[in-house]
Amino acid sequence: MVILGRQRFTVWAAESILRGMDAESAGITKRQLGLLLLVGGLVGFCAILAVDIVDVGREGGIGPAQTVALIAMALAALVGLSLLPLGDAPA
Amino acid sequence: MTKPGLHVHRALMLCATIALLFAALVYTVYAANLIAFPYDYDQGEGFEVQDTALLSQFRLPYLDTETYPFYSSNYPPLFHMLAAPFVWFFGPAYWYGRLLGYAASLLISVVIAQAVYRDGHQNRWIALLAGLAFLSSNFVYHIGPLFRQNIMVVAFEALAVVLLARAFPRGDRRGIVLALFCLLCAGYTRQLAAITALAAFIWMFLRGPRRALLCAFGFGLAGGLVFLWLNLTSGGQWWTQAIVANVNDFLYDQAVGLFRLWFGLHGFLLVPAALLVMVELYADRLSIYSIWFLATAGLGGISAGTWGAGDSYLVPSIAAACILSGIFFSRMLANAWRPSRLLQALPLARIASLSLLLVPALYLGYARATLKMPTTGEFAAVAALLGVEKNVSFHTRQDEPGFYDSATWMAGGYARIGYLLTEADHAAGAQIVARIEQTDKPVLSEDAGFSIAAGRDVVTNPTQLRNLYLAGQFAGDELVRMIEYQEFGLIILRAQFFPPHILEAMGQAYVHSETIFMNGFDYLLLFPRPAYEPRVAS
Repeated sequence: MVILGRQRFTVWAAESILRGMDAESAGITKRQLGLLLLVGGLVGFCAILAVDIVDVGREGGIGPAQTVALIAMALAALVGLSLLPLGDAPA
Repeated sequence: MTKPGLHVHRALMLCATIALLFAALVYTVYAANLIAFPYDYDQGEGFEVQDTALLSQFRLPYLDTETYPFYSSNYPPLFHMLAAPFVWFFGPAYWYGRLLGYAASLLISVVIAQAVYRDGHQNRWIALLAGLAFLSSNFVYHIGPLFRQNIMVVAFEALAVVLLARAFPRGDRRGIVLALFCLLCAGYTRQLAAITALAAFIWMFLRGPRRALLCAFGFGLAGGLVFLWLNLTSGGQWWTQAIVANVNDFLYDQAVGLFRLWFGLHGFLLVPAALLVMVELYADRLSIYSIWFLATAGLGGISAGTWGAGDSYLVPSIAAACILSGIFFSRMLANAWRPSRLLQALPLARIASLSLLLVPALYLGYARATLKMPTTGEFAAVAALLGVEKNVSFHTRQDEPGFYDSATWMAGGYARIGYLLTEADHAAGAQIVARIEQTDKPVLSEDAGFSIAAGRDVVTNPTQLRNLYLAGQFAGDELVRMIEYQEFGLIILRAQFFPPHILEAMGQAYVHSETIFMNGFDYLLLFPRPAYEPRVAS
C-alpha cells in the first residue's frame, strides 16, 4: 500500500515537472516549484543525516555546519509545501 | 499624503542622498590614496601584478611550484588579461589594476541604478540611491580599489544578471548570448562566479525550462572548451593550481561572524530585499534578482567561511540586495503591485503614504550603519561633526592614521584594511626595496611588490604553496635546498603563510635581524645565518 502510494506520488511529481518542460514558452508553476523544493528539501535532509550513518567512523555527531544545512533543507521543504496550494500561477 | 508630508519626504531623500554621496566621496579618496601606493596593500595583490606581467608576455601563470621560482597563480586569467596591455606601456605596477577595480565598482553602481530604474517604475531618485548604496557598503569599500579580481567578477555578474532579466523573457537571442558571455567572463575572472551562473540557470529554468537547458548546454560547452584549452596549454597545471589548490578548510566561526557582520551592516536593505523575495514567491513571479540574492547570500556566505576567504564573497549578494530593495521601495512609493489576493489584504495605500518617510529613513539608516571614514586630516572636522572617533587600531605603532569603521575589525575574514596610507608607509616600502637592492642573490618575499619594484624575480606564492601542501601537491624539496644553502640573499615575511617545513628551514638557515612596519603590518627581514651548515645534501 505504502509502495503503491509512493509510486503514484513519483509519477504525479514527474508528470508535473515534465509538463512544465514540454511547454515552449510557459515556465514552471508555483506548484511545480513547491514540489521541487519539497522533494529536494526532504532528500537533502535525509542525505545530510545519512552522512553520520554511512561514515560511522566520524566523531562528534551532528556538527554546527551540519545543523545549519539541516535547517536549510527543512526550510526549503516547508517553503515548497507552502507553495503547493498556489497551483498553476507562474513561479 | 499632504503637501507638508511631501516636503518632509523630499528633505529626507536629500539627506539620504548627501549621506550616500559622502560615502562615495570617502571611497574615492581611499581609491586615489591606494592608486598612488606602489606596494602591496591587501595581501596577495602583488601576485596578481605578477600574473598580469606573465600574461602580458603571453605566458600562463599556472606553473610547476616544485622548481624555481616556485610560483603559480590560483586565479582564472581574465582580470589579469584586461590589465595586461597596461604592462606593455607602464611595466608591472599596481595603479592600473586598482584603477580598473575602482572603475568596475562604479560600473556596478550604474548597472544597479539602471536595473532599479527599468524594473522599478522609473523612479530616478531611488535608482540613484540604490546605485550609491552599493558603493557605501563596507565590503565594497574594502575590495573595490585593489589590484584583485574580486570586484571585476561582480561587474561581469551584475551585467549578466541585468541583461538576462530583460532578454530571456523576451526571447531576445542577442541579449541572451551577450548575458551568457558576461557570465562566462565572470567565471574566468573568479571561480566564485559559479554561484551566480547557478542562480541564472535556475531562474531561466523557472521561466522556460527547454530554453534554459539549451542555454546551459551552449554555456557548458563554451566554458568547458576554455577550461580544456587552459589545462592542455598549461600541461595540467591549471587543474592543480586553480582548482585543487582552491579547496580549503571550512571555518564555521568565520562564516557565522561574516554573516552577522553582513546583516548588521546591510540589514536596512537586506530586510526590504527579503520582503520583495517573499512578495515575488507568493504573489508575483520570482525575478532573477531574487534567485541571485538567495544563491549569493546562502552559498556565497558559506563559501566565505573557507580559509583564505572573506567579506568579498558576499559582495554579489549586496549588489542583488541593492537592486531588490530599490525595486521594492519604488513599488511601495508608487503603490504599483501586481494584482494579488494576498497583497489586496494589505493596506497598500497606507503603506505607500508611510513609505514616503520610511524609504529615505531606511537609506539614511543604511548610510549610518555602513559609515567608515578617516578621522584625521581633512576629515577631522566631519568626524567631529558626526561624533565618530578612531575605533580600529594596528596596536604596533603610535603614528597610525585615525580611521573609523562601523564594521570594526572583530569578525574573522573581514580584512583589516580601509585606512589611508601615509608618507611613512611609502618610506617604509622604499626602505624594504633598498634592502633588496643590497644583495645580488634572489630574494624571497612574501609580498611580491618589493621584488617587482626592485626588478627582481617574484619567488614563491606562499598561500598557494600552503594550499598545495595541504592538498598533498607540494613537497618543496628544491625550495628547502635553496634555503638551506642560503641561495636567497634576503627573506621577507609578513603573515608567514608558508608550509611548516619551509618556515622551519627559514628559521634554521636565516636569522631575523630587522623589522620594518608598513601598511599596518610588521615585515620581518631575515638574513643568512653566519656559519650555517646545511642540513640537506646538495
